[in-house]
Formats: sequence, structure tokens, C-alpha cells
Amino acid sequence: MKNNKLYISAAGSGKTTFLVNKALELDKTKQILITTYTVDNEEEIRKKILKKRSSIPSNITVQGWFSFLLQHGVRPYQGSINEMLFENDIKGMFLSEGNSSIKNDEQGKPIYYQGRPLTYGENDFKNFYFTKNWKIYSDKISKFIVGCNEKVNGEIISRMSRIYSHIFIDEVQDLAGYDLEIIKLLFNSNVEIILVGDPRQVTYLTNHYKKYTKYKDGNIKEFIQNECKSLIDENSIDENSLKKSHRNNKAICEYSSKLYPEYEKSEPCDCNICRSNVSEHEGVFLIKKENLDYYLEEYNPIQLIWDKRTEINNNYPALTFGKSKGKTYERVLIYPTSNIKKWIKDNTFDFTKFENGKKKKIKDAKEKFYVALTRARHSVAIVYDYKENEQFEGIQKYKI
Amino acid sequence: MKISKLYIENFKCFNGAFTIDFTDDVNILVGNNETGKSTILEAIHLALTGVLNGHYLRDELSQYLFNNDVISKYFLDIRAGNNPDLPHILIEVFFKENNFPKFEGDGNSDRSKATGVSFKIEFDKDTYKLAYEELLKKKFETIPIEYYKICWKSFARDGITSRNIPLKSVLIDSSSHRYYNGSDIYISRIIKNNLNEEQRADISQAFRKLKETFMGDDSIKAINEQVENNAKISTSKKVEISVDLSTRDAWETTLITYLDNVPFHQIGKGEQCIVKTNLSLSHKKSEEANLILLEEPENHLTHSKLNEFIKAITSNRNQKQIIISTHSSFVANKLGLENLILLNANKVSGKREKFYFKKLEDTTYKYFEKLSGYDTLRLILCKKAILVEGDSDELVVQKAYMDNHERKLPIENNIDVISVRSLAFKRFLDIAKELNQPTAVVTDNDGNYKEKVTNKYKDYEKVKCIEIFADENKNLNTLEPQFVNANKDNLEILCKAIGIDCTIYNSGDKIIDFMEANKTKWALSLFETSEKVKYPKYIQKLIDWCDEE
Repeated sequence: MKNNKLYISAAGSGKTTFLVNKALELDKTKQILITTYTVDNEEEIRKKILKKRSSIPSNITVQGWFSFLLQHGVRPYQGSINEMLFENDIKGMFLSEGNSSIKNDEQGKPIYYQGRPLTYGENDFKNFYFTKNWKIYSDKISKFIVGCNEKVNGEIISRMSRIYSHIFIDEVQDLAGYDLEIIKLLFNSNVEIILVGDPRQVTYLTNHYKKYTKYKDGNIKEFIQNECKSLIDENSIDENSLKKSHRNNKAICEYSSKLYPEYEKSEPCDCNICRSNVSEHEGVFLIKKENLDYYLEEYNPIQLIWDKRTEINNNYPALTFGKSKGKTYERVLIYPTSNIKKWIKDNTFDFTKFENGKKKKIKDAKEKFYVALTRARHSVAIVYDYKENEQFEGIQKYKI
Repeated sequence: MKISKLYIENFKCFNGAFTIDFTDDVNILVGNNETGKSTILEAIHLALTGVLNGHYLRDELSQYLFNNDVISKYFLDIRAGNNPDLPHILIEVFFKENNFPKFEGDGNSDRSKATGVSFKIEFDKDTYKLAYEELLKKKFETIPIEYYKICWKSFARDGITSRNIPLKSVLIDSSSHRYYNGSDIYISRIIKNNLNEEQRADISQAFRKLKETFMGDDSIKAINEQVENNAKISTSKKVEISVDLSTRDAWETTLITYLDNVPFHQIGKGEQCIVKTNLSLSHKKSEEANLILLEEPENHLTHSKLNEFIKAITSNRNQKQIIISTHSSFVANKLGLENLILLNANKVSGKREKFYFKKLEDTTYKYFEKLSGYDTLRLILCKKAILVEGDSDELVVQKAYMDNHERKLPIENNIDVISVRSLAFKRFLDIAKELNQPTAVVTDNDGNYKEKVTNKYKDYEKVKCIEIFADENKNLNTLEPQFVNANKDNLEILCKAIGIDCTIYNSGDKIIDFMEANKTKWALSLFETSEKVKYPKYIQKLIDWCDEE
């Protein structure tokens, strides 16, 4: 029986290296696809392979998730889902954020009804899936594939399974909606599937389509447990192999774990290699604005910001939380948002807010903060003008 | 790996859509000139390699690739204000095996699951829509080929190059396409395909070393010094003589294959054809078993060389698929008539049609395989065939036809008179029956009409396309007494016509005796005479049959 697996990983546990090693260890006759959602991570995977080999081995393909879906999911049988697609080429993908298939007026502006844009329904095939210029909406790709695969009696998945013997998906927590259905179909095929992800780091979502919504916020484990029950066994979900962080020290592991008390705490890897160079400045700190220039000069941390509007010291490099995902730095300096500050003050703050009388999640704040916290090997400093008498849990006040 | 089907649309002589199926082993394309045999080979090769006439088509798109009628229709529609779409060319090669999933999908003219490649030459709408609209406002007489692009895709709609097509084809034709410097494009490709990556790297290395040795040679050094000092070719850059290493596989364009110390392109064309074929037959990479496309191999080969060649094909084929075009009955007979695919231009529409011979009986094609000298293709390719038993019959039938058709030979009206030994008649008729080819048999009754005619040709009694012409009178058992009988009222003219003295041959019997003793002689005289003789009734009927529609 084939061995489908989901590895739940901690930040800095080396999951990408782990995947790359798995792929390189396999027999040369196996055809392996390594795919992931973000371009940055795709590049990271390539770099990791090239560290070990002079070129990407011919039996390994590294490809972005959408690119893979377009090439092997959408195009091979596009005509079979709708005759129109025999005549028209699909001109690529339109990255849709939020709503897609929006109805426009003659000037090309969205038509609103009761404050919401009107959208095309599924019965209008062309406008539901495609832009005017035949670009497929990114949030509809996997739905298209699932529908098309049904029309051709599973030929799409069958074709994939004859091309690839193994499909590895990195950062699987980013997949949502019908993407999960595709994972389920692949679990049920001949392809051996390895999923790796950190449910705490859902910073991007492939789509916001209303399918499997309850599994969308990092609940990949629950998805596999509930929806793929018959396709897995007791060894299919592994939460231990990638629990140790090769990056973060003990203080960082402990502090970041406080954000997600429901998951296993991450631990610092205690091997000699990981712990060989301890610096004189280790841990998690709060730092007052007045000390920033000195701190930057002294420790040269990378500045992590929510977005470009954050005021920073432009003499030192900076990166948004989102962009820092997957990266490792010696030291980081985090500019927290007001919500993050609330949590630092009170760890029971649950990153929700009230909008029109309803309780709503504050978009990505917790996940991104987790990413930012877990970038550093030695030290994390958070810009926070604390009062001397204030008390904070698990964090030190930085003093010059 | 085999191909099962070819689809052609608007390419050269193919007006509209045309499909042709192939068997796994040998396929023999026959047909008159201009029926599309070579075009089929070209189309397959183009779709699998991107190469046409030894060049990458990418750089050489032209209007002449398009079917003439399609272009005429486009311009008629333009003038009529119908706003037609610009014509396109589409070639699709369907693979038989389905273990190449990357090439599998519904992106083909069947619009269903299949494995293969699609090669399309089409108007580049995305880039040139506006330019074309501008052009439409003016008067233009040729297809704006500069607005066209080549779309080369798998049936999964994935862009491809010849490199990732698992099927390697070799086109061996009699015209030779060479690189400008003399290296033969096919032979280099065949050799290259035979090498693995390591061997290719070795050649490149060795070639580079050759360059270094060349450059290191004292005389070259001296020459280069002189060039550098004297020549003011370039004011700032160093000028020197060297070996061209500019392309990745420089050796491929520069190295030449030698046979017995003679450069490959200097040996006879026939020998070249044999060498190329043998090379491609011995292709090592079995997983990339190639497809061999052979164009009219008989062209530069003597009969004995042709025999050698056919033998090489049949004995070394090793499951390789071969598609061959030929005009030679010998080639067709030897390779097996059951493998024939006949191409035809429809008399009314001009569209190409094909006909497969699969149902031919075993014994018939085996017969022709052994007696391969028979002109089976003549029977197949003419409009109507007349089978006769010998030279004199052939001459008489020709003459009778000429007398009725203002001195035109039957072949000028595409009616072929074929002389066949009596035993082979039935074999030829089997082919005619299978093909529904109008065929007449002219035969003597040999004094026993029932046995020699009725019983012998019983199997063809109900076959519409076959007619047997013979006389029932058992006393007139052969052509000679028939002839004398037909002219019994004016034996003098008959004597004149066959070149004898009517005072010596003064009776019918004497004339018959002479004729029987000098069969070819009298027939030749008759053929050349201007005298008007009468023909036996059954021959007259045959001539009438020739004129039936």
C-alpha cells in the first residue's frame, strides 16, 4: 500500500530541506513533483536542491501549485468540460483576491447591489471561470479541475498519476477550498503524496472559495482526519518528526508557542550543530523606540514590518512579515501592529474584533506575527514603549 | 512507440480535413503524382521535428504551405465581403501507445482522449489583430504570413519542442538536404540520436581538443600572427583563423561522415539512401524506437541495389514502424501488398481519398511477394485496366483502341493494358475486386469456353467492376482464327495489314498458320499499319467497355 503522509512541522524545523532530501533519496526512476503555493518558496526549494546537486535532477520537477494545476489539471481536458474550450485557448491565470467573476457595467466598473458586487453564477460558464480575455480566475481553478475530472471519468487524476509517482506539497496549510478536494483525489490515486506544513503559518490562501471552509485556517490535519479517513492509517499524520526547530533557540520557541497553545510546543533542536554558536545576546526582548538606532547599530537585525507604511530606519534592511516566510535571520526586529501589542500585553487576547455587531477574525494578524517571531536564530526584539512598572510574560525588557 | 493516425488540414494538396491510419509495421503509400504521398511523409516529419525540407519551418513560413483552393476561397470570401477567418494549417500525429501521459488530452481534432502532438500554423490574433484589421481596409493578394505563428503542442495543450517528443522520426528522401558546409543534416541527426549524453559530450570534447591542436599548430600560429599584424579588418578586436565552435553541437555541422574514405555526400545517392536507412534501422535506443519515413527509395537504386535495400528493411526492421512512398511495383510487392495505402484525388471534388488493402487474401499478397516483378501498381493506379495474355494481344488491343480513338493510345486516357501470364489473372482480379477497380480480362477460349472462361472466372461473375471478354465459338479458339474470321470478307486488307503477300497466303487457314507461327511479328505489323481491319466482336465490345463511364 502506498504511503501518504502529512507532516506537521514547526517553524525552522527544516521541512523544505526534509522534503528535498526525501526527493533526492528516491530512486532515479521515480518521477517526483515538488510543489508549493508561493513563488518564493518554489525558488527556495530549487536553491535547496542546487545546494546538493549541480542541477535539478531530471526526475524531479519543481513547480508552483497554480502552474501545476494549469498544466496538468486544467488544460489536458479543458474541452471536455465545455465545448467552448476547444475553440478558445486559456490565456493563463488571473490572480483573484477576494471575489472573482464580478459583473461589470459598460464602463468596466463593478455593479453593486446592496453594497456588494454582483457576481456571475456557475450557470454562466464563461464568466464564472474566466475573465473577458480567457484568463481563469485563480480561486476557481481547482473547482474547474474537480468538475472536469468528473466529466472525463477521472482521466485528469489518472493522467497525473501516470506522470508522477510522487507528489510532494510544501506549505500545504496554504491550500484551501477545492484544492483540498484535489488532495483528496490524489490521496485516492496511485501517486504517493507527502504533505508538509505548519498550520500556524497560514499567511496566504490559495483561494477563498466556499468549499471546506471549516478547514481553511490551518486545519489541514482535521481535513485529512475527517475527509480522507478511509485513505489513511494511524501513521499517516506525523507531528513529531518536524517538531524541533533548527533555527529558534529555547526562548523563541517558548514565546512563539504561546500564540498557539492548542498545538504541540516547538522545541529547539539540541544537536551540536544547531547549538554550536551561542551569542551574547539571546532571547526575546521588548525595546523602546529611543533605543532603536543603538540596537540596529549594535546587532544589525532585519526589520520586520506589517506593510510598507510602517515607519522604520531606512538605513537598515526591512521586509514585510509575509515576505519573510521561510527565511532565516540571525536577529530580527519586529514592528508590531496595535493588535499584536494587545496580545503582548495580554496573552489571552484572541485576535478577533467586532464588525457590524459580529465577531470577526483579524485578518492574518496572528499567523503573520507567528511567522515574524520564528525567523531568528538568536534574538527577537519587538518595538514597544513599555512603562517600567508594566509586567510581561515570557519576554525581557531590553536595556542598553 | 508507434503512430496510429495522421490528421492534416489545409497543408499543401490537402484541402480541408484528411485523416489516414497507419499499421504498426510497414505502410506503403502509393498513388499517382500529386496525390499527396510525399506531403504525408513531410507532414509527419514536420509535426515530430519542426523540420521541413531540411530547415526549421519556424524561420521559413510561406504561403505555399497552404492549400491553393483554401487560399482562393479565402480571397473569394474577402471580395464577397464575408469577413472570413484567415486560413490555418493543422497537422496532428496520434500516438498508438498511451504510456506517454504528458501527451494525453482532448486537445485534438477528435475532441476526445488521445495521445499525440499537434502542429498548427495560425494567425497570431493576440499580437496582430489590429494590424490585420488595417490590412483588410486595403487590397491584398497574398496571405499575410508575417502575422502567423506556429503553435506546437501536445494533446494536453502543453507547448513542446522536438526534444521532448518521445518519438524520433527519420525522413530519408532522394533529394539531399545538406548544411551549407556539406554535412548531411539527416546523417548527423541519425548518428546523434544513436548516441547517449555521455558520448555526445565526448564528441564535443574531442572536437574542442581538435580546435586546440589546430590553434596550437606552429604554422597556424604563424599565420595568425601575420593576420593580426597585417589585416586591418577590425581596429579594436583580435582577428584570427579558427574552427567554428559557435553552436552547442558544433561538431554536428562540421564533422562529415566518411564511407571508405569518401565523404558521405560524395557517394552515390542510391548508396546514401541505403546507408541512411541502415543507420536508422540500427537505432540503439529501443525506448525511443524511431519511425522511418522513406520517400521513393527506388529513385536512385538499380534493381539489384533495390533488392538489397528491401531485404535490409524487411530483415532488420525490429518492430520499427516504416512509412514508405513508392511508385515501384517491385517495392510494393516485396513489402507486402496488404500494407498498401492508395491515395487518390477525387474526380469531382479534387479532395484526397485513401484506400487500405487490409482485406486482401493471404495467398494473393504472398503470390506477389514471390513474383514481385508484376506491375501491380499499374493496375491500381490507372483509371481502367485491361489484362491480356501476351504481347500480340496487348498490341491488338492497343491498336483497336487507337482506331476508335483518333490514334490515341489507351494509356493517354489512363487506361492501362497489362500483359500478364494467364495464371496471374486471378491474382490481379483479386486486387481489382478489393479496390473496386474497373478491370477487363481479354482471353482466348482455347476451344473450351465453359472451362476456360465460365468456370475459371466464376468467382468474379457478380463483381461489377470486372468484365471478361472472350468469344464463345470453340472453333475460334485463339486470337489468330478470331482475327481471320472477323476479316473473312476482306482477307486482302488483313494480309496487307499484317505484312504478308495475299497471293501466297490465299486462304484463311494459311493466314492462320502464318499468324500462329509469327505471333509478335504480325501483331507488330498490324500495330503500325494504316489499313482498316476489322476486330473480333469481343475486342470490339472491350473497346466499348473502355468508353463506358
